[in-house]
Amino acid sequence: MSKSEQRVATDVGGTFTDLVAIENKPDGVKITTAKTDTTPPNFEVGVLNVLKKGGMSAADIDFLVHGTTVVINALTERKGVTVGLITTEGFRDTLEIARGNRPDFFNLHYEKPTPFVPRYLRTEVPGRMTYKGEERAPLDLSGLPEILQLFRKEGVDAIAISLLHSYANTSHEEAVLAKVTEDWPDVSVVASHQITREWREYERTNTAVLSAYVQPVAANYLNKLNEGLSAQGLQNSPYIMQSNCGVDSLKSTSKTPITMVESGPASGFWGAAELGKLIDEPNILALDIGGTTAKCSLIENGEVRIMTDYWIERTRKSSGYPIMVPVVDLVEIGNGGGSIAWVDEFEKLHVGPHSAGALPGPAAYGKGGTDATTTDANLWLNRINRDYFCGGDAPADITAVEKALQSVGKKLGVSVDEAAQGIVRIANNNMVNALKLVSLNRGHDTRDFTLLAFGGGGPMHAVALGQELQVKKVVIPTAASVFSAWGMMMSDLRRDYFITQLASLEEGAASNIESVFKNAESAAVKTFSEEGVEKTKVSFMRYGKFRYQNQEHTTEVLLDKGITDKGIDKIAEDFRVAYEREYTYRLEAPVEMVGIHLVARAEVGKLVMKPGKLGGKDAKAAVKGTREVDYALEGKHEATLYDGDKLNPGMSFNGPAIIEDAGTTVVVHPQNSVSIDAYRNIHILLERDS
Amino acid sequence: MSNDPITLEIIQNSIQAAADEMFAAMRKTAMSSIIYEVLDMGTGITDAEGRLASSGAGIPAFVGVLDKSVQFIVEKFGEDIKAGDVFITNDPWHGGVTHLNDLVLAMPVFADDQIIGWTANIAHNSDVGGMAPGSLSGEATEIFQEGLRLPAVKLIREGDTDQSVMDIITCNSRMPDFLLGDVWAAIASVRIGAKRLEELASKYGCGTYQRAVESFMDFGERSARAELTKLPNGTYELSEPQDDDRVYNVKITITDTEFVVDLQDNPDEDAAPTNTSRDGAVICAQMVFKSLINPESPANDGSFRALKVLTREGSVFHAREPAAIGFYFETEVRINDLIWRCLAPHMPERLPTGSFSSICGTFIGGIHPDTGRQYTIIEPQLGGWGAWEGKDGNPCIFSSFHGETYNTPAEISEARNGLYVDRMELNTAPGGEGQYTGGRGLILDYRIRTENGFLTAGFTRSKVKPWSMQNGEEGSGNYVEVNKADGTQETYSFVSGLSLTTDDVVRVVTSSGAGYGDPKKRDREAVKQDVKNGLITPSRAKELYGS
Repeated sequence: MSKSEQRVATDVGGTFTDLVAIENKPDGVKITTAKTDTTPPNFEVGVLNVLKKGGMSAADIDFLVHGTTVVINALTERKGVTVGLITTEGFRDTLEIARGNRPDFFNLHYEKPTPFVPRYLRTEVPGRMTYKGEERAPLDLSGLPEILQLFRKEGVDAIAISLLHSYANTSHEEAVLAKVTEDWPDVSVVASHQITREWREYERTNTAVLSAYVQPVAANYLNKLNEGLSAQGLQNSPYIMQSNCGVDSLKSTSKTPITMVESGPASGFWGAAELGKLIDEPNILALDIGGTTAKCSLIENGEVRIMTDYWIERTRKSSGYPIMVPVVDLVEIGNGGGSIAWVDEFEKLHVGPHSAGALPGPAAYGKGGTDATTTDANLWLNRINRDYFCGGDAPADITAVEKALQSVGKKLGVSVDEAAQGIVRIANNNMVNALKLVSLNRGHDTRDFTLLAFGGGGPMHAVALGQELQVKKVVIPTAASVFSAWGMMMSDLRRDYFITQLASLEEGAASNIESVFKNAESAAVKTFSEEGVEKTKVSFMRYGKFRYQNQEHTTEVLLDKGITDKGIDKIAEDFRVAYEREYTYRLEAPVEMVGIHLVARAEVGKLVMKPGKLGGKDAKAAVKGTREVDYALEGKHEATLYDGDKLNPGMSFNGPAIIEDAGTTVVVHPQNSVSIDAYRNIHILLERDS
Repeated sequence: MSNDPITLEIIQNSIQAAADEMFAAMRKTAMSSIIYEVLDMGTGITDAEGRLASSGAGIPAFVGVLDKSVQFIVEKFGEDIKAGDVFITNDPWHGGVTHLNDLVLAMPVFADDQIIGWTANIAHNSDVGGMAPGSLSGEATEIFQEGLRLPAVKLIREGDTDQSVMDIITCNSRMPDFLLGDVWAAIASVRIGAKRLEELASKYGCGTYQRAVESFMDFGERSARAELTKLPNGTYELSEPQDDDRVYNVKITITDTEFVVDLQDNPDEDAAPTNTSRDGAVICAQMVFKSLINPESPANDGSFRALKVLTREGSVFHAREPAAIGFYFETEVRINDLIWRCLAPHMPERLPTGSFSSICGTFIGGIHPDTGRQYTIIEPQLGGWGAWEGKDGNPCIFSSFHGETYNTPAEISEARNGLYVDRMELNTAPGGEGQYTGGRGLILDYRIRTENGFLTAGFTRSKVKPWSMQNGEEGSGNYVEVNKADGTQETYSFVSGLSLTTDDVVRVVTSSGAGYGDPKKRDREAVKQDVKNGLITPSRAKELYGS
């Protein structure tokens, strides 16, 4: 390629539309960022605006990847369409019965979530499959015309089809789908097997229903985006970020847009996995702290963990709604920079989950916010530069900060300093508990992991969290505040197939298991080739989901290519080892397979990073002063201030220090030592080598 | 610094996280569906004396069990408690509280050579021996018929499994593989919890750790007492006839400092397995108390300090050894509802109208036609809950006894149990109407696929229906109906060991919740929606709601 390649990631959030452009120039990588307001309902306008603001011309862009919260927003704001459901006779109420759980169990006024389809639009057809996928009673479609007539009369815009045991045999669902399409060609329709091939009828039915609910909205959004961009001269159709850390084509995404539901955090975690490979840190605890939440995920041997146990609106107070799509395994808590600190009636301090949002925002914004937030506490403790707040865009309103912290301190009976320290410590503790959920609680020893922190708030808290968890080291990526966008540009075209298939691991089982994988692989190759991706470019990873006989929950094990009878014993042993690591014991009981998880990937020309030259160690050139910083448990120290933009590969220095650039502040504690790698990532060793 | 309120709070949060982690670990590794799916289990952490410091998720009826178990073990073993020991009990007269199926495991946590607390869990095991498969039989008249009694013994001594005890336990079960898997899941769970507490104590020091636990309990007590003063003072009494014509009685006295539940005036214990231990009765009162006072915060020892429960030894609510107690849960749910019903008219803003209020325990077993292995279904059922001012009741959720509990999907049940689930839908039988309607109950059809199966079930609120308030309609009632392949049909509320064969259909029918307020006052649009949704027939709508 003679000219430099232009790659752009755009991200439409609830408030802002962001752009990050990366250009690989002979003298290194050039990163451009821009931000504009999100423009509902014509979101594509915001995307075009942000391109313009960033000085991009659509015609010059080689590779555009797009992330959007349109699906999750349509769901949580209930802005989808009217859905009609067709299901198996005797099961119209599955959606309303749900699982019957009461998470808030002492609360006698618990309110069960309302189903997305009212009872009169939940219809049934006779016909049954068994769990083995054999037909028990033939499908009877004689009632379908009447159902469709009802749907038309009631203004249904989208139809979901979900039949019992369709994960094992899709033919009944396919027949209903074909007939619906034939009788009503322009209605939006989805069958559950098109999204998932796993069992549990409530979860699968709800997935189909929520997919139908957002389908017309998302398809319309993607169409307008595509039209808007091609009108501006974009040559290659954009790729769309998915919840499984991959990207997918716009066309494919339009069919089952529900797969975008958790795409926001996915790109950052994928970025963490890719960066880990680049810097030879395959085991990573990734932490993304934004304005309202903190999210974390664990990466082992360079692989993110993808699961289908995803729920929206599920809290300690509500059972929520399941969506059985491949989503990166993450824990999210309401603990971000804008999280509000509050004292309950028993003088206990809490931070979050309520957030001050963009308006009024933290007290420091001076926009009328009177609640103290984590950001305010960080400001008061001098971790954030009072004169360089928000990259110098706005001076911090310290009077408002003090007032807000005073109010917290008064309720606790402590000073303003102690209140601020308390807020940071409680916020850190919340995040440590979240990080433990993805690591220690699953049998991983955090000492084997590198903590990679990004997002606006990650670098500020990372060292304190890393010290608590005794991680190997802490890494802050270059341009940490837009790291998610970088992750998008590192993504492959990726699809995760989860298929429930019971199989024993006895003799002769190999050919059966092998054929399940083979069938899934050829189906994947077929869809890829329909989209112009050659067979040779597609690579696979095979995981099996195993358990001891009679158990329910499974442990995923990575399998070698080509399953043979000889290899079966090794598979069982691999399972026993993985199981023992997570749960501390092993059993003599037989092992069985419950399903497969196939990952199909095709590279679509992702960004190749080039290392810079390591220069001298001396970092004096980047020093811009000193200030006294309150490190809470470690007391107050005079910290050296470094200008992040001036830190070059090879430089190193010791804490206490603060590194500032336009988007982030890195807090380096007294005992730490810092070095800058060839890609300008910041490596922080927790204990100084002396 | 180490005794500042923030440090104490961080330790408290970490203890809560440990209880949750114990719960998650056990759930994921258990073998019995009653544990991993239904989550008929609980985890907890106590202080050195066995006072509840924190409880994990699970079911509210198990929250108050574990402290009582640990207290018994501490009393029994005294100095003979060593690091690495794990104790097991299931007998209500030896710290077990509930019934023999529920194995309680407890492990002392040591730091600086002293006990700083205990981790413990309880879970329903599929079969612990006794006269009937699944160990529960309506025919039992003595506890000896309900399974192996474990009177609080050491299962693991200083880290080494006592194989003799393990062998005795597994040998006495009809499903030894399941039992072994479930016991190991429980061991892993107490060990993980203990490890976390040791880490906390070593990081912050034993003294600080213990102060955090103390202050957490004091916090529980303060928050309970603060709310108690907001309840209307007075003495309230209710006598309620039961399905079997016995009459249960409760007297409740509320002052600003005490909440006294008097259950003394109740029938003598009987030969049927529906007795409960005194501890079981206490837990029922604790559940209502917690719901009234402070449903949001986690429960600990302090939460219940203002509560007093009076029982009479030898009564059905305070059974003496060796009474049968297998179906204690159905009695507990009655006590719970009795207290609830007694208070609801006096504090309707805190208590909805009556719900289906039964475990509707359903036990079906036999041979799986495809695998040839024994299967056992042990399931509580979903049902309708009562309405309250301004709100219709919830359809199909678990009773007040169960909480973060999940029903079994039809797809999984068919694979695991080798039967067919012909339907699982809302029960639209008349009942529960009102200005605000009760939520709908369930209809669940199990079609048996092999010979030599059995059904045991124990439902209450079958004849005496869920109670309404303000002239709403009472609920529809719980029962189980067996439609035999030969065309005959029987209806039961209690049935034990009924033979089932191919193509028999067991239909579980659970009640709607009761209505609140006069049906005539129901919003017209809401009535229209009820009819449109097929929740009520047009003719009954006309009859009850008017035009």
